[in-house]
Amino acid sequence: MNETIAKGHLSEEQIDKDLLKNVNWGGKFKLWMGFLTVSLIICLYYYYQQLQNGLGVTGLHDYVSWGIYISNFVFFVATSLIGMLVSSVLGMMKVEWVRPVARIAELVALAFAMVAGLIIITDMGRPDRLLNVFIHGRVQSPIVWDIAVVVTYVVISGLLLYIPMLPDIALCRDKLNNVPKWQQKMYRSLSLGWNNTAKQFRLMNRYTRMLLILIIPIALSIHTVTSWLFAMTLRSGWDSPIFGPYFVSGAFVAGCAAVIIAMFFFRNNYKLKEYITADHFDRMGKLLVLVALVYVYFNINEIIVPGYKANTADAKHVHEMLYGHDSVMFWLVQLGGLVIPFLLILFKPMRKPLPLTIIAVVILAGAWFKRVLIVVPTQLAPYYPIQNVPEGWTGYSPTTPEVAITVASFILVVMIITVLAKLFPVVPIWEVKEDMNHKNNK
Amino acid sequence: MKNNKGYHIIILFCLCFLAVANVNAQSDWQAPAEENEKLSPFLFDDDMVLEGRIAYENSCTSCHGTPGQDDFTPMSPPPGDPAAEQFQAQSDGSMFYKIKMGRGTMPKFEDAFADDELWNIVAYIRSFNEDYKQELPNMEGVVIPEYAMSLSFDENVDKLVVKVFAEELPQPEVSVSAYVMGTFGKHLLGKAQTNELGIAYVDVDPTLPGDEEGKVNVMVKATKEFARAKVEKHMVMAKPTERHSAIEGRHIWSTDRMAPIWLKITFFVSVFGVWFALLFIVFGLRNIKKAREEA
Ligand code: HEC
Repeated sequence: MNETIAKGHLSEEQIDKDLLKNVNWGGKFKLWMGFLTVSLIICLYYYYQQLQNGLGVTGLHDYVSWGIYISNFVFFVATSLIGMLVSSVLGMMKVEWVRPVARIAELVALAFAMVAGLIIITDMGRPDRLLNVFIHGRVQSPIVWDIAVVVTYVVISGLLLYIPMLPDIALCRDKLNNVPKWQQKMYRSLSLGWNNTAKQFRLMNRYTRMLLILIIPIALSIHTVTSWLFAMTLRSGWDSPIFGPYFVSGAFVAGCAAVIIAMFFFRNNYKLKEYITADHFDRMGKLLVLVALVYVYFNINEIIVPGYKANTADAKHVHEMLYGHDSVMFWLVQLGGLVIPFLLILFKPMRKPLPLTIIAVVILAGAWFKRVLIVVPTQLAPYYPIQNVPEGWTGYSPTTPEVAITVASFILVVMIITVLAKLFPVVPIWEVKEDMNHKNNK
Repeated sequence: MKNNKGYHIIILFCLCFLAVANVNAQSDWQAPAEENEKLSPFLFDDDMVLEGRIAYENSCTSCHGTPGQDDFTPMSPPPGDPAAEQFQAQSDGSMFYKIKMGRGTMPKFEDAFADDELWNIVAYIRSFNEDYKQELPNMEGVVIPEYAMSLSFDENVDKLVVKVFAEELPQPEVSVSAYVMGTFGKHLLGKAQTNELGIAYVDVDPTLPGDEEGKVNVMVKATKEFARAKVEKHMVMAKPTERHSAIEGRHIWSTDRMAPIWLKITFFVSVFGVWFALLFIVFGLRNIKKAREEA
């Protein structure tokens, strides 16, 4: 019998108790939030510096104008795509085992997508001119398309988190009597008078299905358009027609890794071993194998096709990667962050929760540096050679403010996930119960 | 017999070697006496120098290098730098003869250039010699006719019609060359000789690009012995060029207002379509609230 859906021995009350237990503001949470807040404030001090002095405090310059901010943005957009894969593609294919972890995937997606928009603003020297993008933006510009899809994706992800959660919010409203007043009020208004009526379920399912269908093209276009920001520029290393699928496949790798890490965290801290089982990790591991395989395939294409040619600018770019200036990072990322982890998780013992989580951390780190490799080296090899410029413009290294602001984006993501996971149950209670009843009645 | 053949070949090689060695040894190259004394019928002016330069750069630089730079190709005998003293020491006639006839590795340019063009090259080579004073032929008793030319275009046969007169009389056997003047140089249309009516026909390529009205600036030269004439005229004989602004019309690279229609439609239909669906869902949430009582 399958472990992921075998909860026959749990009573409904037990499930309610287990899954609602985490909706509280315990001491541990306050400590953790305090730590995050202090770190965030330190990082924000650097952002204040950047606001005062402009982008001069970063390592960016005329040649490398997209540094780790944009790499980080690409990484965030990528990671947020997993919500679509898990809840929509697998959900609609009626893959039952994903249901308990679908909400975690949605949380990860929403948090990363929300912060991705903010990262773009940190890359602006004059954020006060943000509105100009909307006033003077050209409809021909992929940047305008990107803004349109990112905003849309955030809204869809939010709705997709919220609407299927209605029964659980109602449960919070009914069962949690010892939470603060404002919180009770919030549950009351957010639950939309949920009463478990058949019609309400019907409506909820209808809207959810609509969203699940909508999110597929939006998620695909959010990352395809992000890749077009690069691919539509005439530059060696970017000027590639497969950049869209290349980015999307890479996104699933990063997203799977992020979800595995989040799953591990919730399972241990929220004591959810009965709900997020070892079998879930095994299956997520297998999913990771699949998406990594596709990504490796695209990587091979991205390298061998331009690299095969003798003396084109693209070939030079690939050669720089393979054995030139960027080779150390390149091989660390490709072998250490992709191929070796991929080979490891082919073996079942490596798909146990702890080893898989460690591998996922390595993959996620590799995925981040991979984005830097995509964004930065190309700008250092323009078609017109870099000449007669200040020293230091022939290279790029991020400064402390840049690193701190990037760290801030991660802190924000963790904060958003933490708060949401404290306000709402991270495992969909009604779906677990439904599953169980379904199984028991068989 | 067979052995004998090999023997012959060896002898032949030796003879060849001797011949080559002989040429090498005979390093100074003399033009025949009467060629040596030949003088340019034309006064070397800036125009000739410029023309000569173009011809030189196309046909001579590969071996002789840039005059004055001593960068000629090393070979035996050496081609020499045209600006060098030794090179300049010879007469105009000798230079003219050597370029025209060639010797050994020095190609023969007789078929490549007409006489006046060869003199252009000599004029160019001489322009590197500050001490040079052109010796002009003795013109006493020689009457140089003064040419007048009239140009017209026969659009039925796409030909430029050049009439050459001197004192109202048609001039036969005059060499005529016609050019189209451009911003950075000129394009040779063709060369012809006048017939007994003093008329020469030069073919015109009908696809030649002209200005908006199909006009081009035509330059025609007529030469015969010492006589020389040149006219320039704007003539309608080429294809009119329609000029378009690079940002005319709708383009990906244009302003927002001039974005391609298909792009605008695609973008706004998708964005509004998706947001319409989202608003539909958001407003639909009210229905969930309404449905709280079981019907
Ligand atoms: C393939 C190489 C080559 C090219 C092309 C060439 N020459 Fe020469 N030229 C030579 C060589 C070699 C000599 C020396 C020949 C000899 O002494 O037998 C020479 C000799 C001459 C001489 C005689 C120099 C002297 O000191 O007596 C003149 C004048 C001359 N070239 C002019 C020209 C002009 C003008 C052109 C272009 C229209 C030209 N050459 C193109 C190789 C070349």
